[in-house]
Amino acid sequence: MKLPKIPQQIISLFILLLVVLTGFLFARKYFTPPSFGLYGHYRANAVDEIKARGMKYAGSESCIECHDDIYNLKAKGYHKNVACEICHGPAGKHADDPSETSPEIPHDRSKCTICHDYNLARPTGFPQIIANQHNPGKFCTQCHQAHNPTLPHTPNECGACHREIASQKMVSHHASLECTTCHEAPLEHLTDPRSFEVKKPMTKEFCGQCHARDANSPVEIPRIDLQIHGGRYLCWDCHYPHNPEANR
Amino acid sequence: MHPVFSGYIYPNEYELHWGLLIVIYPYLTGLVAGAFILASLNRTFNVKVLEPVYRLALLTALSFLIVAPLPLFSHLGHPERALEMLWTPHIGSAMAMFGFVYAWYLLMVLLLEIWFDYRKDIVIYSQEKKGVAKYFYRILTLGATDISEEALRFDDRAGKFITIIGIPSAFLLHGYVGFIFGSVKANPWWSSVLMPIVFLFSAIVSGIAMVFLLHMITDMFRWKTPNMACLNKLAEFLLYAMLIDFSLEMLDFIHRLYESEESIHILGDLIQNRLFLSLIISQIVVGTLTPILGIIVARFGNLPDEMRRMMYFLSTILVQVGIFSTRWNVVVGGQLFSKSLRGLTMYKVQVLGLEGILMCIFLLVLPFIILYTFIKILPPWPHAETK
Repeated sequence: MKLPKIPQQIISLFILLLVVLTGFLFARKYFTPPSFGLYGHYRANAVDEIKARGMKYAGSESCIECHDDIYNLKAKGYHKNVACEICHGPAGKHADDPSETSPEIPHDRSKCTICHDYNLARPTGFPQIIANQHNPGKFCTQCHQAHNPTLPHTPNECGACHREIASQKMVSHHASLECTTCHEAPLEHLTDPRSFEVKKPMTKEFCGQCHARDANSPVEIPRIDLQIHGGRYLCWDCHYPHNPEANR
Repeated sequence: MHPVFSGYIYPNEYELHWGLLIVIYPYLTGLVAGAFILASLNRTFNVKVLEPVYRLALLTALSFLIVAPLPLFSHLGHPERALEMLWTPHIGSAMAMFGFVYAWYLLMVLLLEIWFDYRKDIVIYSQEKKGVAKYFYRILTLGATDISEEALRFDDRAGKFITIIGIPSAFLLHGYVGFIFGSVKANPWWSSVLMPIVFLFSAIVSGIAMVFLLHMITDMFRWKTPNMACLNKLAEFLLYAMLIDFSLEMLDFIHRLYESEESIHILGDLIQNRLFLSLIISQIVVGTLTPILGIIVARFGNLPDEMRRMMYFLSTILVQVGIFSTRWNVVVGGQLFSKSLRGLTMYKVQVLGLEGILMCIFLLVLPFIILYTFIKILPPWPHAETK
């Protein structure tokens, strides 16, 4: 029986394909790390390499052995969950031989602002400052005790803690309003903000006291028909009350 | 003037992670898929009048395909790690599968089809040319120097077969890019099953328009009067593709509007503020409606050929502007609003650097330089015209 003639092109391409495939398989064998895929989709040896790098942190438990007074003080305060080395840096060497190296004692403002600089994403009530506006030039530890932080004095204004809101309100059409015009703030909020929370307006009618058609307020204030404006949405779904122009 | 951001933005949303380079990536792959599908019209669907653009379309597709991964390399850094997704494939990740989609399309579709189509020419060049060129073409023959009638018939059949495989592959290549965006379920601007289909049709539009444009330009530089029958047919296909593409985008738009999910307000805000220029003006009015009107008037109006060509020329340029805006609106638009659905941010384009405008201009010009080289090596015009 005579076999059908295989075209020259197919033979050439087949050889090329074989070369490419063999090249690929060899390259794959050569370039894939031997331990790849042992535990998952990564190089298993990487785990040992990372382990071999040595420990830099000692862990809070080792600090207690010598500094129990500070630990006990800290355990009662707001910083009870902040590990020592977060502010003092890795102290592995110090724990091994206390006489040789000492951990850093942060005096500048850079460490505290890691947590306390203003950031929108931080939870409400978390003490935050805008570093450039908050006693510029002073070190944090001049007024605050880092191991048991409490306010050096009762805040005089809301902006002391709610600086970003105050800064926005300051340049908005609501600048002349006191915070307490809209928020009901118990006096205790100043000293214990988490236990005594500030109340926010809940209904459209609250804004309507100034902005409704029939409101008894100065004529230059923008008016809306409270019944139809914005449908079922509340005022602050569209307007940011601390800077109501921003979302127009 | 807009403020940098308005409303409520999460801290990790101030800065956009996917910039101009990621706008260019779907634009380039779209041109590849579109150009190839245009080529297949001639080959598979036997639209003989498109013969003059067949080879040009293939070379265009190849030139843009070579540049397509470069924006990704530039964006990610470490191009030396690119092949690792081939050595250690992660089949659970759509992004990691790009290497295979790309390799399949480049090696098994485009290069093969071009080789089969040009084989006779390559063999002739390897016999006619002198010096280094002779050896270069000899290597390109891969040793297959048989140009008997039977061998050429086989080439033709093989080419046809590859085109048939090529159409779903081209759909896969660009559908895949749309799939990547469409499957980001946390982003209401992207997350839509229509995304791969809309991407695909906009790809076909951009590819046809690009080859159309290149065909007119190359004819101009070769002092040839363009074949009007071919141009008219191209205009018709471009028009149909644009109508389908525009209808699909409107369908997507109406569907979102009717569904009115919680994101609809911020998306409305996005379109009215941040994307007004690039979506309403650039994409819809300048890049879609004007060229559709231009092509309808030029194709079906009673105009002299010269005027007709001028209108085709302008329309195809506008189509490119429109499709580039489409990519911009998808990629950048999808990152301009906060996941809180309460605020908008802003994208500032850099000039220098790996993600800058200069790099993007370079990446957009590079395919044309590559195409010029290919045209020099493998002239796409009939043999008689080349001489």
